[in-house]
Amino acid sequence: MSVTPTALRFGVLLRVFLRSLFLQASWNPKGMQNLGLAYAVYPALEALYPPGPAREEAVRRHLVFFNTHPYVAAAIVGGVLNHEQRIARGEETPDKVVAFKAALMGPLAALGDGFFWLSLKPATGAVSAALVPLLGVWAVPLFLVLYNLVHVLLRVRLYWLGLTLGDRLVEAVARANLPARGARLRAVAATSAGGVAAWLAVSFGANAGGLYAPLLAAGCLALGVASYALVSRRVPNYVVLYVAAGLACVAGAFL
Amino acid sequence: MSVVWTQVALAGLWGGLVALERKAFLQAMMSRPLVAATIMGALLDDVASGLAIGMLLELFFLGTANLGAALPENDTLAATGTSAAAATLSAATGAGSTPAIWSLAVLLFIGLGRVGRRGDRLLEGYTARLARVALASAEAGNLARAMRQNLWGMWPHFGVYGALTALCAFLGFCIEPLLQVLPPMVVRGLAWAWPAMASVAAAIAAQGSHARRAPLYAGLGAAVVTASVVCVLLLEDP
Repeated sequence: MSVTPTALRFGVLLRVFLRSLFLQASWNPKGMQNLGLAYAVYPALEALYPPGPAREEAVRRHLVFFNTHPYVAAAIVGGVLNHEQRIARGEETPDKVVAFKAALMGPLAALGDGFFWLSLKPATGAVSAALVPLLGVWAVPLFLVLYNLVHVLLRVRLYWLGLTLGDRLVEAVARANLPARGARLRAVAATSAGGVAAWLAVSFGANAGGLYAPLLAAGCLALGVASYALVSRRVPNYVVLYVAAGLACVAGAFL
Repeated sequence: MSVVWTQVALAGLWGGLVALERKAFLQAMMSRPLVAATIMGALLDDVASGLAIGMLLELFFLGTANLGAALPENDTLAATGTSAAAATLSAATGAGSTPAIWSLAVLLFIGLGRVGRRGDRLLEGYTARLARVALASAEAGNLARAMRQNLWGMWPHFGVYGALTALCAFLGFCIEPLLQVLPPMVVRGLAWAWPAMASVAAAIAAQGSHARRAPLYAGLGAAVVTASVVCVLLLEDP
């Protein structure tokens, strides 16, 4: 009779984390990240359950609908391992891990979308784009370092929190106060975008030179302000871009 | 017209790799326009085009996000396609990279963002089929096969978007004669369109930043930068 280990080795934990990076490889409209989640936790299920009905049942409970933010999913993946170890030891029933996923995926998706997609990404993108005139090509590695320092550290930390705390990870995530940090990052994004718009306008005027220089710089700035107003009134971004390009083309051709 | 096929192949390879990184694997932002376009420029020996186009498209697509089941425009395809076309166009002219070339490339290829969104939607049909195979395999007890389905979902993205990017690089060589026949005043107009489009993209970025008082912050940033640049210019040329 084979003895099933109920504590996962470091190698298995590492494999699960690395496989969780493929969470959205087969994102599909019906189950969304279900294949990715089952793929990620499979090495742990192999270690915890012997081949046969128990393992098949364990895989099937992770092939149901699952969707959350791909980074904060690390916390749920860790929490799933925490629960599966207890299920394998007979300390809790399988419905606990299903309930754990169902309860957390929505709130964590909202948290991850708000912080990573709508705050950190625009802020680091806008700051790096604004630094292109000063740093040139070095703005690119700066962008990757700024973003991934936060992304990778949080992803590893969330996985560890889920693994060690299980259901109690919610309190730990709440303490990180991500919504307030996100609001500050969004302000940084807006400030940087305004700064780069002004730099483009003023340097354009300066480069064009001559009597028209102040007029061109002011015109370019006015174009930026008008674009902001138009986009705020739901005029499509593409329309605004093409109209601006057309106006500038005409000005460039005849001035 | 002389096409450098190694450049077309390199563009396709990089376009395919970042298409994977965009959603299927890691998402460490290698697929953001600023990064993807600059590296494309470096691969095709025209960093200046890649960086300029990457900056503009980074700002233009700053507010897009993949929230839930909603599909945003494919900013990665727009960036790789546009920068590949600009780099091969400037290689074909032999006169180096210019703002007129960047403007022409952006005006012709920025719509790839929408093409990519359509492609993403079509590829979902394929992943839905993989999900059905995985569920059937798990029911039949073939767990290894069920797990393998997850990785099969990535490769169509690599193939489709790699091929589209390679096509853009090829088109860059093809449109070089068009640039040669443009009257000088139109080329000058295209050069002026560059800062105008970048300025508009920055304004769109401020609007897409999702900040509560975005106009205030953007105005503050613009005022500080304007004052600083004007001071520097006055000090340099009193």
